[in-house]
Amino acid sequence: MEASEHTDDFIPAALAAYGIEADEIELAVVRAAHQTLWPPILELLDLDTSDIPLERDPDLSQAPPSR
Amino acid sequence: MSAGLDLSLREQAAAIAAGDLDPTQLLEATLARIEERNPALNAVVATFPERSREMLAAAPRAPLFGVPVVIKDEWPLPWRAQRFGAAEMLAPAEPGESGPYRALRDAGAVVVGVANMHELGAGSTGNVSVYGPARNPWNRDRCPGGSSSGPAASVAARLVAGAVGADGVGSIRYPAAYCGLTGLKPTFGRSAMAGHHMAEVSTTIVSGALCADAADCRALDSVLFGEELAAGDPRGLRIGVIGGEVSEDVAPEVREACENAIEELRRETGGEVREIELPELAAATLATVLIANCESLGGVTPERLNRLDPELSPLGRGLLKYRVLVPAIATIKAERVRTMARQTLARIFEDVDVIACPTVPAVAPPLEAPVVELPSGILTADAANVRSGALANLTGIPAISVPVGSSEGLPVALQLQAAWGRDELLLDAAEALERANGRRWVEASPPALDAEPLEA
Repeated sequence: MEASEHTDDFIPAALAAYGIEADEIELAVVRAAHQTLWPPILELLDLDTSDIPLERDPDLSQAPPSR
Repeated sequence: MSAGLDLSLREQAAAIAAGDLDPTQLLEATLARIEERNPALNAVVATFPERSREMLAAAPRAPLFGVPVVIKDEWPLPWRAQRFGAAEMLAPAEPGESGPYRALRDAGAVVVGVANMHELGAGSTGNVSVYGPARNPWNRDRCPGGSSSGPAASVAARLVAGAVGADGVGSIRYPAAYCGLTGLKPTFGRSAMAGHHMAEVSTTIVSGALCADAADCRALDSVLFGEELAAGDPRGLRIGVIGGEVSEDVAPEVREACENAIEELRRETGGEVREIELPELAAATLATVLIANCESLGGVTPERLNRLDPELSPLGRGLLKYRVLVPAIATIKAERVRTMARQTLARIFEDVDVIACPTVPAVAPPLEAPVVELPSGILTADAANVRSGALANLTGIPAISVPVGSSEGLPVALQLQAAWGRDELLLDAAEALERANGRRWVEASPPALDAEPLEA
């Protein structure tokens, strides 16, 4: 089963787990957002970032320090 | 009598300084024009004539003495709290002196109104707001862009010559593009941010100007930066062009206009065009969305989400609830992607001065259905626009949107991005582009303005 096919079960269950209520319209919005963002999130999760050192507290007004 | 209403921002300032334009007359004429034109646009959501008159009476003889401007509903004023375009914000809001307000006041400018914005800053179209949507002066059935919808519509309709917006994920550049304006997203941290309800937590949001052209942006952004953004010569400009969907999955007329503009810019500056690769772009786009969405959640609890103001749009309520479901591992990886993208950009900017691509891949979509048709198919405008807008916010680099053409009677825009701190270069490049095309696009006016007053 594709990950996105879990959406119908996952969304209400996950919201309920947090104690968050949602009406039908809100659920539809959450589902739509999930269907849009979940595939790229899965791609992001597949990305091995272990060799990328985290730039701790980066100064975003400057280029990163050269390595 | 126009009383200088149709002059540029810098022309207004110069005429007042020279004694050729009475700032009191300009203020009153501006308020009258807002009253006349705004009902059809919903660009300005609050005026306060007495406060504006008091501001003018106390204004110092500084660079923008007497120049009327509007400010996005994202910034508090001493007499009015921001509403963030929403029935409810997730952060406390109260009246106060925001950084942009102080900068404007100290420069002698007069705040004449608060401008509309997309609800909670969470959209690139401007079609959702507690005040109702702002409308695009080029076609009032089209989106003005967001989230700085009102600032853009106000300047495009010549209610004022300059507006202050904010850009967390493209929110100055998208509306500048849709409304045919020039809009600079400054380098992170360079422009005034004090008093913003997310100033302490956001790593993506900056204040910035939306004006008709680059010289006006230079003048207004100099005030917001608190330093003179000196003009330079972009001769020999090295222009980087990114392949892939950001340049290619674009409406044909937009693509053609932007490719022509890049060639014009190259010729005007005697520069060169180089193809560059940014393999992290798709991941960077998602990372920006995840980081920007999650940074606002510090004050959120499930209980709070269960008692959201019913006047908040269903879209806004649903998106707030969705944000809670984003897995922590994704936001951690998003920070790693940010590091990677910053390192890649640092290398790229050793070889090129600017990166060029369409600001948005299609012209302003209909208010009623903000979707765009691209070669790959039909996408929501938000999903399409974020591809080009997000990178600058994630990495901190400056970016500017410049009008470069027209399609379906609506503006087309090119985005230029530069290395950290090179905001001035972007303004120089934008001015070079204006010279190259004879200022054709920055001087274009929405056709509806010819038939005033606009009908509601």
